[in-house]
Amino acid sequence: MPPDHLLDDYVDPYDDPAARGRRHGPLRVGLGGPVGSGKTALAAALCRTLGAELDLAVVTNDIYTTEDADFLRRHAVLPDDRIEAVQTGCCPHTAIRDDITANLDAVELLEARHPGLELVLVESGGDNLTASFSYGLVDVQVFVVDVAGGDKVPRKGGPGVTASDLLVVNKTDLAPLVGADLDVMRRDAAAVRGGKPTLLISLREDPAATEVAAWVRQQLRSRAAQHA
Amino acid sequence: MRTLVEVVARPGPGGRTVLPVVRASGQLAVRRTGPTTVHLVATAFGPLGGDDAEVRLVVEAGARLIVRTVAAAVVLPARGESPPSLQRIRAEVAGVLDVRPEPTVVTAGAHHRAVLHAQLTEDAELTATEQVQLGRSGEQPGRWTGTTRIERAGVPLLHTTVGLGPGAAAWLPPVAPQAYASTVHLGSTAGRATGDDAVRLPLDRGWVATAWGERLTPTLARLALLGQPAPVEEALS
Amino acid sequence: MTAALLALADSRLPAGGHTHSGGVEQAIVAGLVHDPRSLEVFLRRRLVTSGAVAAGAAAAAAREGGGAPADRRAGWARIDAETDARTPSPALRRASRQQGRGLVRVGRRAWPAAVWDDLPDRPHHPLALGVAAVAAGLGPDDAARAAAYLAVTGPATAAQRLLAMDPITVATVTARLGDEVDRVAAATSTTSTGISSRTPPGTSPGTSTGVSTGTTDGDGRDPDWLPADTDPLLDLLAEVHADRGDRYFAS
Ligand SMILES: Nc1nc2c(ncn2[C@@H]2O[C@H](COP(=O)(O)OP(=O)(O)O)[C@@H](O)[C@H]2O)c(=O)[nH]1
Ligand SMILES: [Mg+2]
Repeated sequence: MPPDHLLDDYVDPYDDPAARGRRHGPLRVGLGGPVGSGKTALAAALCRTLGAELDLAVVTNDIYTTEDADFLRRHAVLPDDRIEAVQTGCCPHTAIRDDITANLDAVELLEARHPGLELVLVESGGDNLTASFSYGLVDVQVFVVDVAGGDKVPRKGGPGVTASDLLVVNKTDLAPLVGADLDVMRRDAAAVRGGKPTLLISLREDPAATEVAAWVRQQLRSRAAQHA
Repeated sequence: MRTLVEVVARPGPGGRTVLPVVRASGQLAVRRTGPTTVHLVATAFGPLGGDDAEVRLVVEAGARLIVRTVAAAVVLPARGESPPSLQRIRAEVAGVLDVRPEPTVVTAGAHHRAVLHAQLTEDAELTATEQVQLGRSGEQPGRWTGTTRIERAGVPLLHTTVGLGPGAAAWLPPVAPQAYASTVHLGSTAGRATGDDAVRLPLDRGWVATAWGERLTPTLARLALLGQPAPVEEALS
Repeated sequence: MTAALLALADSRLPAGGHTHSGGVEQAIVAGLVHDPRSLEVFLRRRLVTSGAVAAGAAAAAAREGGGAPADRRAGWARIDAETDARTPSPALRRASRQQGRGLVRVGRRAWPAAVWDDLPDRPHHPLALGVAAVAAGLGPDDAARAAAYLAVTGPATAAQRLLAMDPITVATVTARLGDEVDRVAAATSTTSTGISSRTPPGTSPGTSTGVSTGTTDGDGRDPDWLPADTDPLLDLLAEVHADRGDRYFAS
């Protein structure tokens, strides 16, 4: 028998009202990946493309400054009160995976401020290939790499590449310049991702991030179906 | 040696303040020096280690009281193992109280404890200052511990204890100031402000400003840069 | 219930502590912390001031845990107000309430108990610690120990990250402060209820009984008062830090 206090009001201590797929409120999408791969550019693109049809907000996890939040504000993709920046204590990785408190506070603040919120994008502070989001924080996660790092990145793997719900290989426009073979990247990614989708895109050439936006819409639909 | 001072300020006819109680025993005398002003006058050297002084101030609604001292208090150690000297100000304020004593100088080997406990009603106003110099010039610093507790309508607004001088747990070089000044004001708002070794923090309808350094005069100047409360006007009699 | 105390004081408990430097980030910028010795000095002054206040409030909160729900609700609201009075810096209040909220979030699930519902909204961190101690079956002394210990370990880790210090050196600094942590925690057990029982000023303070003489200890301090030790330097550092746009830590 568990001690009495465990029984007060609670049937099952592991019954997690916030567990993945069971959470109500906005869909939370994590945007992870190395510094400079295009996470902020992707967040801005999604805001532009989905902003008209969805009630959305963004949480940024800058490492030191509020650059990402400032970028989103400057480019007026979102009003100020829909952008929250959190400090990550020198450890952006911890803030999205091991102790997500600051990010949860930011998400909950946005939810309270915008009761009709449908989508929250959480951009991680750039980290290496091992960074991934806790599903206590997000419902689905997108991992963004770019071709500039060379075509071996998908092969190297790491939890972001292998386990993310969507892998985005950005900056395909640069492939010829850096000698990256997109077919190799597509094949390597498929090999390590066990059927989960990968998109090769160029935000330079498609600033609307059409395919990624379509994937997000699909996530919203499937969650709505789950809750129905 | 025990010292007790009691002053009660009460609204009188025509909006004036009367002081029905102005009483002192021990090492302080109290003189009425203006319509709403009293000065505390030391009648002996000190305070000395082991001395215990209590100043009880009551300001009723509609009354105002200004409390000053005539000279700096020079705290001296008792012979041998000197216990701290103690000064408590207990104030019940429903009107306006302004307490700005001259500086306290704590000489080497002495330890002075100052306590200000003010209980305010909803509309009361208070200004209280503290000016401390550890050691006379060229002398080793003494020790000073100051507690301020302010309540309004039973709700604590500010409660802090600052310890300065050798033996105080948080008085650690490289930040071990020998001069300290602070002003607390309740009755009007002021935002937070930061300066050189000086900071002002907002309180509910009030603020507290603090500065520290090596000598008192420049410390007071830096405190003043943060902004000062308006003087309490003497009511015409 | 030592294991629960270890869990409560574990820096890996996901309560948001890792995003707060306890003033160390600004102290480094100000040149006050730059090596193990200066770190130890900084941690010591933090421990004996805000650490002592936190330990006192946490212990007082844990002591209220045994009361009837209405009493402990009132008691915790009072302790929250007392902590506010001891934390005049808006930046430090924010940091404390952020960490309090974080601890409630994890504590509610880790140690489910009805007492959580009696906490004020966004409680100060020490208050949340005291309540977590109650929920986890711990006592006031444990709550004080956890509060005092966390007052040191959070900033120590932050300094290690910011200055790229040898982690073994930082562990040594923390270990050397162990006795002082215990002393600060033990001192809180001498305050009984932790709250001044003095009645608020009457509506007619002019009566000669209006000023309560009260009882004081040798230091002129009301023994019912919680520790209130403060370091104006920490207030200043916190406020300057809060004004910066470029910082790694939330406080
Ligand atoms: N050539 C090219 N540059 C891009 C593309 N997407 C983003 N960038 C640039 O890559 C740089 C880093 O992008 P940013 O979104 O800030 O990366 P983050 O660190 O992952 O957030 C910026 O200068 C972007 O303009 C792309 O598709 N092609
Ligand atoms: Mg970015």
